[in-house]
Amino acid sequence: MTETGHPTTHDAAHDLRVKAYFTVFIALSIFTLVSFIANEAVRQGWIDLYTSVTIIIAVAVIKAILVGLIFMHLNFDWGKVYFIIVPIFILGVMMMMVLMPDTVIAWQPSQNPLEPPVSTTGTR
Amino acid sequence: MTQVVYERPQEHMGMPLPTPKVAMWLFLVTEIMFFTALIGTYIVLRHGTPAQSPFKWPAPHQVHLIEWIGALNTFVLICSSFTVVLAHHAAVKADMKKATSYVAITLALGGVFLGIKAYEYNSKFQHDILPGHIGESLPYPAKGGGDNDLKAIEREKHEHATGMQYFHRVQLQLEAIKKSSIDAEIQKECNALLDAMTATTAAEGQAVAFHRPPSPAEVGERVNEILEKAEKKGVTLHLTPAIPFGNLWASCYFAMTGFHALHVLGGVVVFAIILLMAVIGRLGPQHSTMLELVGLYWHFVDIVWIFLFPLLYLV
Repeated sequence: MTETGHPTTHDAAHDLRVKAYFTVFIALSIFTLVSFIANEAVRQGWIDLYTSVTIIIAVAVIKAILVGLIFMHLNFDWGKVYFIIVPIFILGVMMMMVLMPDTVIAWQPSQNPLEPPVSTTGTR
Repeated sequence: MTQVVYERPQEHMGMPLPTPKVAMWLFLVTEIMFFTALIGTYIVLRHGTPAQSPFKWPAPHQVHLIEWIGALNTFVLICSSFTVVLAHHAAVKADMKKATSYVAITLALGGVFLGIKAYEYNSKFQHDILPGHIGESLPYPAKGGGDNDLKAIEREKHEHATGMQYFHRVQLQLEAIKKSSIDAEIQKECNALLDAMTATTAAEGQAVAFHRPPSPAEVGERVNEILEKAEKKGVTLHLTPAIPFGNLWASCYFAMTGFHALHVLGGVVVFAIILLMAVIGRLGPQHSTMLELVGLYWHFVDIVWIFLFPLLYLV
């Protein structure tokens, strides 16, 4: 505030920030409710499982982006820290790809150890 | 003589950010890697369950996870993220009274989150949903005939050691239930199962006849039936259920939520220190950067839970 009581540009910017924080808080609460409802919708048979999973994961990603951009100020700092963050995400995806063959692919039908053996001679 | 002096723009070494903030971001990326490993492993293990098996990854209700409690905890963390960002904002405006109030609310919300988590953990202990305790085998569904019998035998052979551990655990639990005083019908069923497992009972006046004790898979099936009946009657039984992939689920659940709760606890301790500083009058506008850094950490903890909640409770 100035001495005359008029708000300064600085004050206006602060108020805008608080408004942004509040908007994100409301959005995050609504998104949490959306993911909860999407889960319930599968039980009620309104939507199929894959649609529900897509909605729930998409909502989680949007929530994380909102927290990162507004609460963690990445909308200002992204240009200064992206080179620390981006490689980590690449490494994270790579880690999952490395784990994949040992677990997911190991259970493919042809390699399933719990399958009864198939006889090649005609006698079992 | 006139000389022209060219001023070269000053070159800055290092990052275009304050050093503490760089340090916090570097710390956070190591944390991102840590939780990516945990969450990634969980996703891969979950999708690695055999596609052809009739047994699926445990559903939340099987492992006593209540969705609305998870959603409530998500809301609590979102609220705390909002209050911590307001605390920083107030500190930047040198309104330390407001900043202190917001820190106190954040601390309280962190405590509420941990309290709810403790309640959930207690439920897991009561139902014995713990890594290494759960029965992994259940008889294959009757439809399908001989092929399913073969699969069942093969599966039990693979899981013989863990199956026998489960068998003995349930036997001890049933013996304890036999000595306790609970609902008569439930106790009767428990005693019948115990008798079948010990294979020593006989009708009065008859010789003890040998009968094949139930396999761990059959024990698991009977235990699940008893637990279902007990739940309908509102009786709490300390009897370990049989849930295929249950031990894997429990390991993942406790690893992910346990490490997350430790991070929440860490944040709560820092907020308590800040509050203490405020109480003794040592918190001032010069600490706004510190509040921003703690806020960054707290938002990261919130983001981790944003992914843990749907992965464990919903999807």
